[in-house]
Amino acid sequence: MKIKKLVQDFENKIKDIDFKYLKEYKQKENKKIFAHFPVYAPHEIFHSFDVLLLGLNGAGNEIEILYADARFGSFICSIVKSTMELGLSNRLDFIDGFFFTGICDAARNLCFVYKRNFPDKNVIFLHLPQNPETEHAIKFLESEFKRLIKNLEEMTGKRFSEDKLRESIKIHNENRKLQRKLYEIRRNEPDKLSTYELYTLLRIGNFIPVEEHNKILKEVIDYIPQREPVERDRIKVVIEGSFCEQPPFELLKLLDDVGCHILDDDFILGRRFILEDVNEDNPIYSLAEAYVKKTRYASVKHSGKKYKSKYFIENVKKLKPEAVIFMYAKFCEPGLFDYVLFKKELEKEGIPYLFLEFEEKMWNFDRIQLEIETFFESLIFV
Amino acid sequence: MYFAGVDVGSGRTKMVVCDEKGNIIAKVMKKTHANFQKLVNEILEQALSQNGIKREDIKYIVSTGLGRYSVPYRDFQVTELTAGGFAAKNLFPDTKCVLDIGAQSTRAYKVDERGIVRHFKVNDKCAAGSGSFIVKAAKYLEIKLEDVGRLSLYSQDPVPISSICAVLAESEIINHITEGKKIEDIIRGIHDSLADRAIALLKSVGIEEEITFIGGVAVQDGMVASLQEKLGKKINVPDEPEYTVAYGAALLAKRRFSKLVGAVS
Repeated sequence: MKIKKLVQDFENKIKDIDFKYLKEYKQKENKKIFAHFPVYAPHEIFHSFDVLLLGLNGAGNEIEILYADARFGSFICSIVKSTMELGLSNRLDFIDGFFFTGICDAARNLCFVYKRNFPDKNVIFLHLPQNPETEHAIKFLESEFKRLIKNLEEMTGKRFSEDKLRESIKIHNENRKLQRKLYEIRRNEPDKLSTYELYTLLRIGNFIPVEEHNKILKEVIDYIPQREPVERDRIKVVIEGSFCEQPPFELLKLLDDVGCHILDDDFILGRRFILEDVNEDNPIYSLAEAYVKKTRYASVKHSGKKYKSKYFIENVKKLKPEAVIFMYAKFCEPGLFDYVLFKKELEKEGIPYLFLEFEEKMWNFDRIQLEIETFFESLIFV
Repeated sequence: MYFAGVDVGSGRTKMVVCDEKGNIIAKVMKKTHANFQKLVNEILEQALSQNGIKREDIKYIVSTGLGRYSVPYRDFQVTELTAGGFAAKNLFPDTKCVLDIGAQSTRAYKVDERGIVRHFKVNDKCAAGSGSFIVKAAKYLEIKLEDVGRLSLYSQDPVPISSICAVLAESEIINHITEGKKIEDIIRGIHDSLADRAIALLKSVGIEEEITFIGGVAVQDGMVASLQEKLGKKINVPDEPEYTVAYGAALLAKRRFSKLVGAVS
């Protein structure tokens, strides 16, 4: 098995903003395709209706913004604009519907800008509970899921089936387990699986059916022990902040090249948001319960009475990195608000950190490389 | 036993060779050109031609600067911030902040008591506020680059340069020339404009005394005067500030080698 070749093919597929693969898939399988904006989406519900859910993480540096700038101010993050541009340039015409949640003001408004600009499309906005600590949070989300189910019933002409949802939960639990295993491999054997490879292997899951993704991940996991490790000196870090807009592939390769041994990150967080298996009994309730009780702390989810920064520092202390790298997308409000609280916790613990900002359309990485290298040298030469 | 630092900058490439005590034995500076391989080999040859240094006597080489990965004979590479901070601390032990203005980049950083970089900022995408701006200005004013720093000191009535863009500033400078403004006043205006940008960068890392000013632009007396006036304090400037980063790399080479073999004082 050639993981390098496999990953390169996946990168090309992810970067294809004309979605050739998905258009062929739709024609061949005759299935509906929904697109969801980060971070969270109840994949299991869409899957139980035989709808493929495309995880739409903007358009990277592949698109020229020609129309979207007229819809948003210059202070809005890149992913919102590039997602809008994909729609306005007719590249998403083959998509049957769009799914949004209110992760921030920009994303919430993007949903309604989509509704206005694409009146023929099915655009769904799912309200997530604001306060996860009230006893009504799960019930509220369950009712929202039921609203989504009704919408999908009307769109697909299919009846909802609890058995099918149970089966979908089972398949997605398997997917989450395999992803956790890959993260464990990188944490323990960074010479056998790079961050770029891990990231690409996970992100391709946003484009293909979960069954196919599970098959690929299983094969890769089985093959990894045979890889010849290229050992080198690395700095152990935790990366925080890239939960929505994604850093360019070049930046991820740079992290590998400069010697980052990443113990944990929040890239494409939606795929790993739920940390444990979801119960298969009472499936709609269990999905709601999983979102409220089993998800990772995140800047896009209220953490209740216990500050998010406490969850953050507990995770860091558990992993024992030499440093933390904050990697936020420019203009990411939820992330930058939390940064202030997170860095205070690190300062209290005496853990060094580096703050970096990126944009999906960035093309020059010299400065960011200089910053990471200087930071590492400040740790090495002490 | 010698140690070398080579700083492949965007404007000039510098090499410094020092002995076990950190004394400079050889130094070379050449204009950076596109063929990095040829350039770094030439610079090594020239360094070896000074004071009878033999290649086998150079025990460890650290490269730095934008072309640090293009030095095939390097033992290790570090960024110009790490090298500059280490040198500044070595030359001026009370240094807390370093300002390094080169041809294309301006860097402001804080160092700890060991010279380790703790917090830093680098100028944004464009080169406005860096040395290449002065090179261009000298061309428009038809004066030699080496005269720019001295002439600036004669200014009685500096002309403000409002544009922060090097391209737009060109037309602004030409306008001042046609208005009959004195060359020394225009130059001082340029230095003041550069100093404002550099101080903004310093402020973003937090200004702490002492400040050491290094890099090619630090050779210009007018720039130093402008910075001191605006900051209201004296700043340290090494004798040959353009070599500081290469010297820091040479010192780091010595340090690294001593850590590896434990033999250098």
